[in-house]
Amino acid sequence: MADDGRARPGQPVQPGQPVQPGLDDLAGEAAVLRVYRQAFAVLAREAEKMILTPQLLDVDEAIFTAFAASGSDGLTEEQVRNACRRFPEATVARRFEVLKGYGAISKVFERPNERYYRAAFAPYIMLLFLRRIAERGGQSELHELLSLEHRSVSAPAAIAEDGRASAGRLTQVFRLIANELSIMSLSADVAQLRENAQLLWGNEALITRAERVHATVLHRWPVLDRECQWLRAGLVAYRDAIDAAAARLIERAGTTRALGLLPAEEWRTFARTAGTEELAAVLDTFAFDAPAPWFDPQAMTEAVESGGQPEVTRTPPPRPAAEGAEAAGPVPDDQAGATVAELLGRSRSADVAALLRAAPDWAGARRILAQLTAADCDPALPYSLTWADGLVVTEEGSPSWVTHGRFERHEDAS
Amino acid sequence: MTRDSGAAEDTALAWARARSSGPLRVSPGTPARRLPAGMLKLTEPGDAGVSWLVPQVPTDADARVLAEIGLPGPLLEQPNDTARMLAAVLRCCWADPLGPVWPGVRAGSGTLLAVFGEVTGPRDDAAHRRSAVAALRRLDQAAWVRWDEPAGTVRLGPRAALWSGGDLTMLRQLWRSIPAPPAAPSAVPPVRGPRR
Repeated sequence: MADDGRARPGQPVQPGQPVQPGLDDLAGEAAVLRVYRQAFAVLAREAEKMILTPQLLDVDEAIFTAFAASGSDGLTEEQVRNACRRFPEATVARRFEVLKGYGAISKVFERPNERYYRAAFAPYIMLLFLRRIAERGGQSELHELLSLEHRSVSAPAAIAEDGRASAGRLTQVFRLIANELSIMSLSADVAQLRENAQLLWGNEALITRAERVHATVLHRWPVLDRECQWLRAGLVAYRDAIDAAAARLIERAGTTRALGLLPAEEWRTFARTAGTEELAAVLDTFAFDAPAPWFDPQAMTEAVESGGQPEVTRTPPPRPAAEGAEAAGPVPDDQAGATVAELLGRSRSADVAALLRAAPDWAGARRILAQLTAADCDPALPYSLTWADGLVVTEEGSPSWVTHGRFERHEDAS
Repeated sequence: MTRDSGAAEDTALAWARARSSGPLRVSPGTPARRLPAGMLKLTEPGDAGVSWLVPQVPTDADARVLAEIGLPGPLLEQPNDTARMLAAVLRCCWADPLGPVWPGVRAGSGTLLAVFGEVTGPRDDAAHRRSAVAALRRLDQAAWVRWDEPAGTVRLGPRAALWSGGDLTMLRQLWRSIPAPPAAPSAVPPVRGPRR
C-alpha cells in the first residue's frame, strides 16, 4: 500500500513523487468532511457563521430530541415544529434549515417531494460535548483524552506512527492551555482568573497521566525522543503557567485581603459552623485592637505632599521563582526577641501576670504584653504564649486586671 | 474586691466591645450609667445628642506602636487617597486649629470635594468622585469620619479625638499647608455613592 506511488493524506508529499490522489482517498476525505460538517452544524447560526447565543443550542437539542423520539420513520418539518412549539416557530424553522444545510438533517430518501427527514447522530454528540465542556471547563474531557491516548499507545498493535501522533496531539493541547493560562496570569484581572480557577486546581493528575503516556511512548519507540522532548517542554510550560497564575491569585488575596476570592456564602458558613477556637484563631496575628487603621500625622502629611503627582498603578516585574520565596519572608524582629529574652532571663518560662505586675506602670505593662504577643506571633522566634482561663482583679495592683498565662521558650528550637 | 462587681463587669464589657468594633455609640435614649473606667465620653453637639465612648490608651501603648514592633496593622486599601481625604476633612471641619480638634463643625460635601481635589491634584471628574466616595466610606467605617450620606455632610468622627498633643502639632502644620476651602458652599451636588 505504501509503495503504490500515491501520497497518503496527512503525510508530506515528497518532491518528485507523482501527486495523483486515488478514488479511495477522495472518498475517505469526503467522509471526514461530511462528519466534520455535521458535527459543526450545531455551531452554525447561518451558513458560514458561528452560533452566538446558548438559546439556539437549546433549540437544536429540542430538534434532536424530537428526532430521537420519532423512531425509524423520520419526521416531517411540520412535526418537528410541533414538537418544538415552546420555542418561537421562526427560530425553529431557521435552525432546521441550518442543520439541513450542513447535512445534520437529511431526507430519508433522496428524492424530490420527500417529506420525511432523519437526523445524524454526530451533531448531537457534539452538543453533549459542548455542554460538558461548558460545565466543567473541558478538564474531564482532557482526562478522558489522556487515558484514550495511553490505551492506544500501549496497545500491542500500535506502531511508531501512532506514538508520534499521540505525542504530537498532547503537546498541542498542553501548549495551548499553558499559553492561555500564562497570558491570563500576566494581564487578566483577578475576577477573570478566579473564573478560570478550575484550569488551575487539581491538575497534578493531568500532568501525571501525560507523563505516563510520555514514558510509554519513549520506552517503546526510542526513535521518537524528539517528539517526547517537545511533549516534556509542553508539560513543563503548563506547570509553570499554573504556578504563576496561582501565585498571582494568592498574592492578590494576601495584599488586598480580597475576601471575595471565596464566595460570600463560604464565609457565612464558616462563621456559622466554626467553633470558638477556630473563630478566635482568625485574630491570632493581631497584637492590637483589630477594627481600624491608625492614621499617623506624618503619613498623612506625606500623602498630601505627594498628592499633586498623578498616580500610576505599578505592576511588579516578574521575578525568578526561586529567589522570591527567600526575599519575601518576614524579616526577623530582633527588638521583640531581645526584649522578651531579657524578660525571661535564665528561666525557661514565666508567669505573664507576674511579668505584667512587675512593670513600672500601666503603659509599661501594656508594652510588655505587646512584646510578648509579638514574640508569640513571630514564627522565627522560639517563644509561645499560653493563656489560662479567668480574670484576676486586684484593686491595688497595677494593672488591676490580669489573666494568668505562661510565656515559654522552646529549648529544642533554639 | 471593694468595688461592686456590676460596674466592673460593665467596664469589662465596654472594653471588649470597643476592642472588637471601635468607638461605642451611645444613643440618647439609653439611661445614664457610670462611665466605664479608662474611657472617654464624647458628646456630639446638636440636637441628636449622640455620644461616643472611646477607650483612652496612652500614646505609647496603642496601635501606633505596631510599626515599632514590626507587626502588620489592619490593612487599608488605597492608603494614600484615604489619608488625603482625612486631611481634607480635617481642613474643612477643624474650624479653629488652635482649639481642640473634636467635635469640629459640619462640612458640606461640595466644599470637601473641592479641597480633596486640591490635595489630590488634577484628575478625571468621575475618578475623582469615585475615589472620594471610596475614601469617605473607609473612613466612616473606621469611625475617623462621620459621613451623613443622604444629607451630604461630613464631620470628624470620635477616633479623631484620640490624636495626642504631639500629633496635633503636626496636624496644625498640615492644616496650614492645605489651601482654604471655598467660602460659600458651591453648587456641586452632594456626593452620592452608587446604590448598594
